[in-house]
Order: sequence, then C-alpha cells, then structure tokens
Amino acid sequence: MEPAKMASPKSAPKDAQVMAQILKDMGITEYEPRVINQMLEFAYRYVTTILEDAKIYSSHAKKSSVDADDVRLAIQCRTDQSFTSPPPRDFLLDIARQKNQTPLPLIKPYSGPRLPPDRYCLTAPNYRLKSLQKKVSSSAGRITVPRLSVGAVSSRPSTPTLGTPSAQTVSVSTKVGTPVSLTGQRFTVQIPSSQAAVKSATPTTPTVQNVLINPSLIGPKNILITTNMVSSQNTANESNPLKRKHEDDDDYDNL
Amino acid sequence: DRQTLVAVLQFLRRSNLRESEEILRREARLLGDDLGGGSAAAVASSSPGVAAVAAVPPGKGTKCGVSFVFGGSTVKERSASPCLCVPCQLTVYQEDEVGGGVVVEDQPDVSAVLSAYNQQGDPTLYEEYYSGLKHFIECSLDCHRAELSQLFYPLFVHMYLELVYNQHESEAKSFFERFHGDQECYYQDDLRVLSSLTKKEHMKGNETMLDFRTSKFVLRISRDSYQLLKRHLQEKQNNQIWNIVQEHLYIDIFDGMPRSKQQIDAMVGSLAGEAKREANKAKVFFGLLKEPEFDVPLDDEDEEGENEEGKPKKKKPKKDSVGSKSKKQDPNAPPQNRIPLPELKDSDKLDKVMNMKEAARRVRLGPECLPSICFYTFLNAYQGLTAVDITDDSSMIVGGFADSTVRVWSVTPKKLRSVKTAADLSLIDKESDDVLERIMDEKTASELKILYGHSGPVYGTSFSPDRNYLLSCSEDGTVRLWSLQTFTCLVGYKGHNYPVWDTQFSPYGYYFVSGGHDRVARLWATDHYQPLRIFAGHLADVTCTRFHPNSNYIATGSADRTVRLWDVLNGNCVRIFTGHKGPIHSLAFSPNGRFLATGATDGRVLLWDIGHGLMVGELKGHTDTIYALRFSRDGEILASGSMDNTVRLWDAVKAFEDLETDDFTTATGHINLPENSQDLLLGTYMTKSTPVVHLHFTRRNLLLAAGAYSSQ
Repeated sequence: MEPAKMASPKSAPKDAQVMAQILKDMGITEYEPRVINQMLEFAYRYVTTILEDAKIYSSHAKKSSVDADDVRLAIQCRTDQSFTSPPPRDFLLDIARQKNQTPLPLIKPYSGPRLPPDRYCLTAPNYRLKSLQKKVSSSAGRITVPRLSVGAVSSRPSTPTLGTPSAQTVSVSTKVGTPVSLTGQRFTVQIPSSQAAVKSATPTTPTVQNVLINPSLIGPKNILITTNMVSSQNTANESNPLKRKHEDDDDYDNL
Repeated sequence: DRQTLVAVLQFLRRSNLRESEEILRREARLLGDDLGGGSAAAVASSSPGVAAVAAVPPGKGTKCGVSFVFGGSTVKERSASPCLCVPCQLTVYQEDEVGGGVVVEDQPDVSAVLSAYNQQGDPTLYEEYYSGLKHFIECSLDCHRAELSQLFYPLFVHMYLELVYNQHESEAKSFFERFHGDQECYYQDDLRVLSSLTKKEHMKGNETMLDFRTSKFVLRISRDSYQLLKRHLQEKQNNQIWNIVQEHLYIDIFDGMPRSKQQIDAMVGSLAGEAKREANKAKVFFGLLKEPEFDVPLDDEDEEGENEEGKPKKKKPKKDSVGSKSKKQDPNAPPQNRIPLPELKDSDKLDKVMNMKEAARRVRLGPECLPSICFYTFLNAYQGLTAVDITDDSSMIVGGFADSTVRVWSVTPKKLRSVKTAADLSLIDKESDDVLERIMDEKTASELKILYGHSGPVYGTSFSPDRNYLLSCSEDGTVRLWSLQTFTCLVGYKGHNYPVWDTQFSPYGYYFVSGGHDRVARLWATDHYQPLRIFAGHLADVTCTRFHPNSNYIATGSADRTVRLWDVLNGNCVRIFTGHKGPIHSLAFSPNGRFLATGATDGRVLLWDIGHGLMVGELKGHTDTIYALRFSRDGEILASGSMDNTVRLWDAVKAFEDLETDDFTTATGHINLPENSQDLLLGTYMTKSTPVVHLHFTRRNLLLAAGAYSSQ
C-alpha cells in the first residue's frame, strides 16, 4: 500500500474528514487516498438504498412518515440480499456430522485421470460451430486458393485492370508463403471469352481469376480443382463478397 | 414498578389464579418489551418461529431485576426444549408454553443464539460488579492474581455484550470506556471490533461474535485459585458475575501450582480461551507411512553385484533412509490402509527413484552448514501476487494473482509443453518408443503459461505430487483443478460459497483440502464433486490448511488464533493449539511428522509436539506476519519468511531436543518455555523490500524463496 496519506488537506470536505476519522478509529492507519472516496460512495449508496426502501415500506403501511421500524425492516431485507454471512456454527456442525459419518470411498485402481462425472467437469466444449454447407465449399475453395491466391490478390476486382491484364503487376502478397515458385512469376492474365461468360454470370472476379490462372499453371490437378470451383461458383456467391472484402483490406495493407 | 409487577405475578401464581396471571402477563409483556426484553413484535415480517415466555421467580439470590428468559423453538427439525439457556437455576413453567403469548421472531436461529443474553441484572450496577471483582483480584495473593486475571477479558466482553443486547446503549458505552484499557494488549484488535458493536442489530450480522457467545470461553485455573474465586463471588451477592461465569465460561480446574503470568501469556490469546485438556488427549498417529520397497536401479548397483546372492538386508542401506526402517510397525504410525490412498503408478515409482537419487546427494544441514538461499522475485506484480507454490522437484513455480490469473513458469531449461490438439495427435505414430514425447506440442512450448478462469483473486495454489495437476482457490468461492498437460481447467469445485483462503494437495495426491471464510475446512477427492469431509469448529475464517506427511491428519490455522488438527478418517478435531495472538498464516509439519510449526501475524513462530499436544518452543525475532514456514528435508533447519522482508533460519534439532514430557506436564499442559530464541536463530537474511511469501527446500536442501518486489 502507498505510505500513509491519511491527513487529508485542510480543504477536504467534512464527509471525507469524518471517514478518515472512522478509519483511524478502526485501527486502519495505512491506506491509499482513493479508499476514502470509495468508502464515501459506498456509504452514500447504501444509505440511499435503505432510505428508499424504508419509504416504500412506510407508504405500504400507510404511515405518514418514515420511522425507525421501517428503516429496521429495510436494513434487514437488504442484509439478506446483499450481505450474506456464512452459515451459523450449529448448522455447520450439523452438516459436518452428517458428512463425516460416511466412510471414505475406496479408490479404484488404474482408472486414469480421476475426475468427477463429465457433467461436473469443465472439459466439455462450451461452444458449437455454426456450420453451413456454403461455408464448407468456400473453405474448400479457400484451401486451394493459397496456390492461386497470388493471382487472386494481385488482381483487384474493383480496379479496371481486368480489362488490361497486361498492365497488372503481381503485387506479391506477403501473406502467401507457400507458393514461392509462383510469386516470382509475373504473368499476364488473359481472359478467355469462354470464361468471360462465366464471369458475367457471377460478379465475383477473384474466383474468375482463379479459374483463369489455373490453366496457365501446369498440372491436371489444378484443372480438377477449377472444375470444382466452377460448379460451386453459384453456391459460393454469398460468401465471395465477404471474401472480397477481406481481400480489399489486404490490398490496402499491401499498397 | 417492575418489581411490583413481578411480585404481583408471583402472588397470582402461588394462589393458583392462572387466568388472571395470564392476562396480567400478557399486558405486562407489552411493557416488558419496552424494557428491553428483546424481540419486538413490530417487525412486520412474520416467520414461523414461536417463542414462549417463561418468567423466573426472583427467589434466588437478591437479584433486583427481573429476568425474562426467552425460549425459542426453531422451525427446523431440532425442536428441542423450548428453553435454550440452560443455567440450572432457571425453570420453565408449563403453563407459559401452553397459554403464553406468541412473540414473533424473525431469524429463529439467531434469536436463539442471542437469547442466551436475556438474563440481565440491573444495568447500572454492571460497572460496580466489574470494579468490585477487579478490586478483589488485585488484592489477592500474587500467586493467584495472574490466574484470576484471566477472568477479566471474557467477563468484560460478555457483560458488554449483554448490555448491548438489552439495549442499554449508554451504559454499555460507559462500561466500555471505563474498562477497556485494562485488558491485555493482545486483545486490542478484538476490542476494537467490539467498540463498533453498539446496537443490538449490529450483533446479528457478526458471525464471529455470535460464535463467541455460544461457545464457552475456556480458562485453566488451579484448584486453589478457583476456590478463592468461588467463595468470593458466592458470598458477596454478586450473583450476576457468578451467573455469567457459570453460563459462558468453562473453567478447567487442575490440581497443582498456580501458573505464573509468563506461562499464562504463552498459552492464551485465542478467541475461545485456551483448549480444554481433554481436547488434546486423543491418540494421534503422527508417524509416517512406510514407503513401499521396490527394486531401485541405482547407478552403483554394479558394485552391489557380488552381493546379490547375499542377504536382502544388505541391500537396504543402499536404499537410503526411506526403506531402511525396521520391519516392525511403528506404533505411532497409522495402519497403511487407515485411509484409502491411490496406488503407485509406474511414473510415481520413477519419481521416487529420482527422489532417492537426489536424496543421496543431499547436503546435510546444521548450524555449521547453512543452506544457500535462492530467491525468486516476481517483478511488476504491483502487489498482486497472492499465492506461490513450487513443485517438489523444483521444476515449476506457480503464482496466483489478484487479477484472477494463475501463471506457471518453468524454472529449468525445459520449457512447458502442452499436449497437441486432437487433429495433430491423429497424425503421430502411436507405436514409436518416444510417443510420450511426440504427443507434446513443440510449437507452443514456452516458459510461461497463463491460466484464466477464476473470477476473483487467487489466494492459494498447490501442485500435485505427480506434477500433473494444479489446484488454485480464489475469492470467488471455487477451487479449480487445472491440468498441467493441456494447461486447461478441468474441474471447478463449488462448496464454499465464500472466499477460499488456502488449498493443498495431499502428499500422495488424489485428496486435497481447502479452507475459507465460512469457517470450515473441506476435504475433497479429485473425482468427487462434493467434499468428503467437513471440518467445522473454528470460530473464524480458516486461513491456512496443511496435510500431515502421512496424509491422515490435517492442520488448520484460523483467524480465531487457534490451530486445530483434524482426523481425515472421521472428521474429529484431535488437537487444539492456542497461544498465538493473531490470525495464523503459515503451518509446517516436520518431516518426521512429530512436530508442527505455526506462524501468525504476531511475528512469533510456535512449535508444537503433536503426540503430547503441548507447545514446546517459541521463536521470536520476526517483526511482522510470517507467511512462509518450511522445514529442511531432514528436519534439521526451520526456515521462516515474513512480511518484514527477511528469511530467518532456526535450529530445529536443538529446539526439539530434551523436551519435558513428564506426567505433570502432560496432565496439566503447563509448559515452561525457555527463552532461547536467540540461541536457536542461525541467520537472518534480508531482501531488498520484498516480503517473503513462499519457501521451499529442494531435494538437495537448497532453499528457494519467492516474493513479489514491492517498491516501498
């Protein structure tokens, strides 16, 4: 605790001085200066709560003014609510006697970690993933994206560079770590007309770009993937705008 | 006017005019209530408690007042006799119960407890009585004076509380003013609390004071002094004091020399006086359990090669002192199966082998060979460090903090690893030899792991002996079990609904004990969500809980300034140790299980012989609360750490040698403590403004200490 700053300056209000005196009387000599404020606030809050309750009780009893009995009743009701005290001694002795009569349970050997039944443990997951079909496919698509995302990131859907693929520069996204071999390449993106039709159907250019890029990369595997992507194109519509938004953000970072 | 009323009532009763007596009493009760009878019917909330009024004929003695005794029959099952105050001179009239009025009481339990105070004399005469007694005691012979002075404090408190309960505020205040300065200095904290209790309503919320009322304050007085006192009180018409003595005090009379002031001062101080002698008479099995003997693959087994065909006895010395006890059962040791203990797993056996190897290299400590001390300072804790524990093999240290986090550090170069996630676990090769290494995740290995989960400051932490689990207890009322293999929380044990101040695993694992603000300690097993044993008996919070090395007993230290030893098997309290003058914050059993060291806010370390139930030593030197106590591995040195920023080492061997355990001492419990603290002190080591919160001797007897740097 901070060293005693108990002597408040002469300009302290009377309440604060009273509180400081109370603390001194109770033997508390070292305390932070904030304690006085907290105690005053507590005292104010407690007293107003009690008096409000007392007013309610006295009006219920149709009395003209609040008297000591109302205040006493208010204090009692509040005590049971907020300041619960531990159970009385005879009650504790009683339950102790009951509990201590049962013999200690035997320990089963070789039973692994000894924990209570599962419903009393905190080992169960306390969350559940909300899984939709679309998400699954888009995530599948996303998995393949790292291979292709170099192109996806680089080609900005919003920018008019689609039309002029040659002018595109591949902005290497730092977040794509794996396809190292791709990042070095700068390749122009050409939009074959056949896929342009697909493109028109869907405004999602990143995926179109993915489709585009794949044929340029050698590997039948990629083509397979693209067909998946194409088929799931339409279903992935809603998620793609979201994806685009993420990529927008990335773009700002990169630029 | 009251006297005339009572006289009239008596006359009516004697002349068998019951109905008129009833009517008069009923009307009189309204007056009687105003005179401070206790529960007013003005309380609107009605509860089913029924109190019957019994009037006591003031025939005995010359009481000038009327005693109304309230008997409250409570709603609960135990509807015992209506009269709850049991002094023999009060009688209950059946007519009263049948026809008596119904005075509505709320909180029947509390009123039952408080009704122990309804007996009253004339309030203005209390000061007279007390000063009369004071005068008598001061004029008595020197040898008796010290013993009779013990009466002052309990009488003072009980008389004051009677005045408060019967709503004689001004008399109570003047009584307090006049006499509170006379009390012993070590009761000052209690008196301060008492000075804030000025109204009857204040008493209801204070559980400790209520317990003080119902439990009897125990005094030990020699027979001669007691005769003196009794004669004086009975002849001098001060029946008020005599009543209080009979009702609230328990006088344990012994035959022999009266005790001197020093002897008394050493033993008193607790909230309930001293301990009755028979409270400390039960047999306690303080011996250690036999360690299982098994083949130890020691490095030097090659040397033993030629002895293999030899007698098995020759192998024993190699097993160190652990297995070398004689085959005979130690009479002071509990039977092996007294309480069920978990069996030893292979990993435990490996651990024991490691333990023995380390023990072989242990430094033998003594006054000439003091341990080195390694201090772990927690920086930037901002007074938030509230609990520390170190594993037995000193590989991990845990800190509990006021921001409700539990942080685990590894103090060896080996980092803390958690088990891989399920997805990764399915990828590993399960047949490989080092599968136990492969299941650990290297990517997230770190020196520090933070465990979140509590919702209040963490006041106690404890590692399990097999280092798989960690316990932490907190102000939110729960004790949490954490796994140190996944670093997640496994279970929250809810039982205390109030802050839990301390917890500890049993030395064999599986069981753990916790103690808290609800004045009980609870014994749990990790696989039961409810406690197995409840140890109730303390009058105030249980602040410190420790297992005995044989796991059959639990020591609890409390804010009522007593230390109690409980039997795990049946929950009985087998020992009560009084003598501290402040709440107890640290306990340590000696490794041989025979002795207990306790430290409290009064800065003294007291040493107790468990078998005989006596105090055997007092170590003075610290100037502030002692939060850490630990015996060295073989029990030669006792280390104590305190808030005064020092660690002190004491010679334990010397402190426990030549104990007086003759018949007189054991019968009466009197001790003569030698003033040898200075001789026993082997060293004082100061830190630079870091209070010492935890002490731990490594297996090789290096002393580790921990504390948080506080910058003032």
